[in-house]
Amino acid sequence: MTNQVITPPKSSPLHAILSLVVPGLGQMVAGSWSRGITILASVLVLGGLSVWTIAQKARFPDFGLSFAIFAKLVLETGLLLVFLLALRHLLSRYIFRDPAAEGFGTYGVAILFFLALIFAGGAMLSMAGNPEQLALVHTGTALFSAGTLAALWLWQINDAARIGAAGEVVKQPSMAAAIIIICLLIFSLGYNITEIDPSKAVREYQDLFVLLPRIVWPWRAAFAFDQNVIEEIQRIQAPCPEGAIGPPSNEPDPDEPWISATPTCGELGVRDLTGTFTPGTELTITGGNYTPGAVVHILWKNPIGNPFVPRGVGPTDIAIDENGGFTTQLFIPDVVISESTATGAQIHQLVVREESTEVFAGRLSDDMTLALTAMLETIMIGLMATFFGIIFAFPVSFLAARNLMGSVVTPLNRLVGSLAGLGLGAWVAVILTGQVASLLGGLERAPVEIFLIAIILLLLLSFLGMQLGGRLFGALLSAIGQTAGQLTAAFLLAFMAALPGYYLGLGFSRGILSIVIDPELAAARENIYAYISAVILAVLAFTFAWVNRKRGDISVGLIIYAVTRTLLNIVRSIEPLIWAIIALIWIGLGPFAGTIALTLHTIASLAKLYSEAIESIDPGPLEALYATGADRLQTIVYAVVPQILPPFISFTIYRWDINVRMSTIIGLVGGGGIGFILIQWIRTYQYAQVGLAVWLITITVATLDYVSSAIRERFV
Amino acid sequence: MLTVEHLTMVYPDGTVALQDVSFEVKDNEFMGVIGLSGSGKSTLLRCINRLLEPTDGRIIWNGRDITHLEQSDLRLVRREIGMVFQQFNLVKRSSVMTNVLSGRLGYTPPSWSLINRFSRADRESAVVALKRVGIPDKANNRADELSGGQQQRVGIARALMQEPKMILADEPVASLDPVLAHSILGHLEDLNQADKITVMCSLHFLDLVQRYCTRVIGLRQGRLVFEGGKDDIAQLSDTRFKEIYGEEAQRLGAR
Repeated sequence: MTNQVITPPKSSPLHAILSLVVPGLGQMVAGSWSRGITILASVLVLGGLSVWTIAQKARFPDFGLSFAIFAKLVLETGLLLVFLLALRHLLSRYIFRDPAAEGFGTYGVAILFFLALIFAGGAMLSMAGNPEQLALVHTGTALFSAGTLAALWLWQINDAARIGAAGEVVKQPSMAAAIIIICLLIFSLGYNITEIDPSKAVREYQDLFVLLPRIVWPWRAAFAFDQNVIEEIQRIQAPCPEGAIGPPSNEPDPDEPWISATPTCGELGVRDLTGTFTPGTELTITGGNYTPGAVVHILWKNPIGNPFVPRGVGPTDIAIDENGGFTTQLFIPDVVISESTATGAQIHQLVVREESTEVFAGRLSDDMTLALTAMLETIMIGLMATFFGIIFAFPVSFLAARNLMGSVVTPLNRLVGSLAGLGLGAWVAVILTGQVASLLGGLERAPVEIFLIAIILLLLLSFLGMQLGGRLFGALLSAIGQTAGQLTAAFLLAFMAALPGYYLGLGFSRGILSIVIDPELAAARENIYAYISAVILAVLAFTFAWVNRKRGDISVGLIIYAVTRTLLNIVRSIEPLIWAIIALIWIGLGPFAGTIALTLHTIASLAKLYSEAIESIDPGPLEALYATGADRLQTIVYAVVPQILPPFISFTIYRWDINVRMSTIIGLVGGGGIGFILIQWIRTYQYAQVGLAVWLITITVATLDYVSSAIRERFV
Repeated sequence: MLTVEHLTMVYPDGTVALQDVSFEVKDNEFMGVIGLSGSGKSTLLRCINRLLEPTDGRIIWNGRDITHLEQSDLRLVRREIGMVFQQFNLVKRSSVMTNVLSGRLGYTPPSWSLINRFSRADRESAVVALKRVGIPDKANNRADELSGGQQQRVGIARALMQEPKMILADEPVASLDPVLAHSILGHLEDLNQADKITVMCSLHFLDLVQRYCTRVIGLRQGRLVFEGGKDDIAQLSDTRFKEIYGEEAQRLGAR
C-alpha cells in the first residue's frame, strides 16, 4: 500500500484579497486581463441591475437606500455561504478525514470580515431608511439576487487565489461555475422585473372562470334571437316641489297591458356621504293584462332617459298572478340630478317590462356579420400586401443577390453617363407627370391613373436615360481623348455627388448639431454645413473617380448590392406595427393603412428570402449560358428563374400565411380588419364578441396554415 | 484559329492558376489538354471564352485580340465558341428542348427572352441537333429526368445550336463511365470531322487522348510542360510522363 501524497490546491492570499476588495482585480494582477475585466463587468452590471430593480419595484426615491439594502443582503448571504463552506470543510477534515482539507484560518478570517461589515452596514442602514420603506422590498427575489451575487463574489475570490498561485497560467480554470451563477442571477432579476407571482395566478382564478366560458364558447352571440317585449311606463315627477301635482296616474286598459302608480309626485331617495340610504316616497304600483305566470322586471329611467334597475328600494322581479295583474310597493330610488342643468319639472319613468323567451331567428347576429366582414377584410389585406410585395420584391431581389451582382462592372465613363442619364430621365418624368396632371385639373384632382402614369414614366425614362446616357457619354468621353475624358467624367461625378452631399449636411445640422449644440446656432449655420458637406462629398467622388480611372471597371453591382441589402435590412427590422402607425398618420384609419404597412415589411422580407434563394442556385447553368453568348437578362430568364421558381412560390405562400396573421395584429392599432373591431370589443368588455373574433381568427389561421403547407409541399 | 500568348491567371485569393501559357490551336484540330486536377485545365478553357478574366497575356481569336473586348462584342465571339462541361450544366428544371434552344441565345435579341420566344427555324434546328446526338424522343422531358450520358448529349446539342467554329470541352466524360465516354467523345469527333469544328478538350485518361486527339498540350501547376502530336503521346517516356503528372504518378489505362 502506498501513501498517496495529495497536495492541496495552491492558493495565493494576496490575489484573493485583491479580488475580495475589487472583483476581478486579483485576476488582472495575475495577468488574466480579459477574465478579470469580465468578472468586474459582470459584478458591476448585475449588481447595478439588482439595485436598480429593487429601487424601481419598491419605488424608492433614490438609489442609495436600495444600494444599502442590497449590500446588506449580499453580505448576509455571503456570510451564510462562508458558513456552509466552512462546515463542509470541517466535515471533510474531521469526519471523512480528507487529507486535502487543511488549514482553517481563511474561513475564520472571512467570517469575521463579513460579520464586521454586516455590523457596520446594518448600523448605516438603520439610519438610512425607515422600516416602512424597507418593508416594500420584495425580499424573496432580492435575497435570491443578493445570494447569487455573493456566490459570484466568493467564486471569483477563490478563482483569483488559484490563478495567482499558478503563476504563468497555461490553461485557465473552468468558468462553468461562474456562468451557472450568473445565469441564476439573471433569472432572479428577470423574475423580479417581470413581476412573476404564481400565487396571484392561483388566488384570482375566479375572475378567469367568469370570463373564460364566454370567450371559449361564444356562439350564442353569433346568431340573432327574436323576443317579444311588453314595456309599459308610468311617468313620475321627483323631486316634488310645493304645489306640484305630477303627471296623471295611468287608467287601467281593458285590452292591452297597463301599469299605474300612486302617487305620481314624490321625493327622491338620498344617499349621503357616509353611505346611509334614505328611501324616497313610497309608490304603489298596479298593473294588468300581462301574461299570467310570467315574471316581469321593474326598471327606472331617469329624466334624461337612462334606465337602471332600482335595487334596494323594493322588488325588481315580480310574479304576475293568474289574472295577468300585480300590485307592489316601491320607494323612489336615489337618482343624481344635476342642479345646475336640470330646470323645470323632473319627470322620471317607471317601467314594467315583460320579456318572452328568446326564439332562434335563423340568421346571424349583427356582430357576427360584422366579424365575418372584418375577417374577410383581414384576409384581403394579407393577400394584397403579399401581392404588392411580390411585385416589388421580385426585381429588388435580383439587386440583392451577390452572385448576380458581383459580375456587374462598368467603366467609369459609362457609369457617370448612366448616373447622369438616370437623373435626367427621372427629372423629365417628374416634369411630364406634372404637366399631364395639370392638364387633367391639378395633381389633387387628377384621376388615380396619374399615379400609374407617373410610375411608368419614371421607370421608362430613367431606364432610357441610363442606357442612352451611358452609351452617349461613354462614346463622347472616349472621343475627346483619354485624360480629358477621364477628367470630365470625374468632375461630373463630383458634381452629382454634391447634391446628396448638400442634403446630407443639412440633415447633419438639423438632426445632430441642433441636439448637441444650440438649435438656433445650428439653424443659422445649416447652409454652411450643407455646403461643406457638399464639397467634401464632391471631393470624395472626384478622388474615387480619379483613383479608379485606370482600373477600367468599377464594381457597380457590389455597390448596388450593398445599398439594397442595407435598405432591406432597415425596412425589415422595423416591425409592421410601427409601419402601421406611420401609415395611419399618412392615410388615416382603415384597411389601406394596414395594407401599406404590411406591404413594406413584405417587400423587405420577401426580397431577402428571394435573394438568398438566388444566391444558393447552381452556378453551372449560368456559366453555360454566358458561354453561349447570352446576355445578363437572357441568363436570368433561362438559367436563374427556372431554378428559383419553386423556392419563390414556397416563400410567397408562407409569407401570405404570415401576412394574414400579422394583419389581425395590425388591426389592433387601427389598420382595419378583424383586429380593429376586436380591440373595440375588448375595450367595451363584450367578451362573447371577443370570443367570436378569436374563433374566426383561429379558424382562418389554422385553415391557411394547412392550405399553405399543402401547397408548399408540392413545390419543394 | 486561336492563339494564346503568355496567358497568366491569378485568382483574387492569390492562387496562381496559369503562368505564362502560350500555344496555338489550328483550324479543325482536336486538341487535348492533359494534366492533374488543379493543374489549370479548367481555368485555361474558361479564360479562352473569358468566363474568367485573365490577369495577363493575350487571347487572339481568328486574328482578333479578344482579351479586353466589351460585353456586347464579347457576346458575338462567345456565340462562335461552344462549351461542354463536366457537370453538363443543364438547367435541370427546364425541358431538354429549352436547354438545347438556350444555345441559340447569342443570336436572339435579349428582350425576346422576356416573352420566351424562339424562332421557328431555331426550334427546327434544335430537333435536328437532338437527332444528331441520338435523343430526339427526349425533347419534352425535364433535363433532370435524363441519365448522365443523355444529359451530356443535350450539352453537346446546346453547343451545336451555336453553329460554333470551336468547341471547348471541360472534362466532358469525367462524370461518365468508359462506354459512355467513348460515345460522347465519338460525337465530338464526328463534329470535328464532319462539320470541321475545332475541338479543344481536357481529358484525364491517356488512352482517350491517344484515341481521339490530333494534338496535345500538358499542364502542370499552371505551366505548359508538354506539347506534341498524337504520336508523341504513344511514345511518351516515363520521364516525360512524370514531368507532366508528378513523381508519384503511375501509368494506368495507357499502353
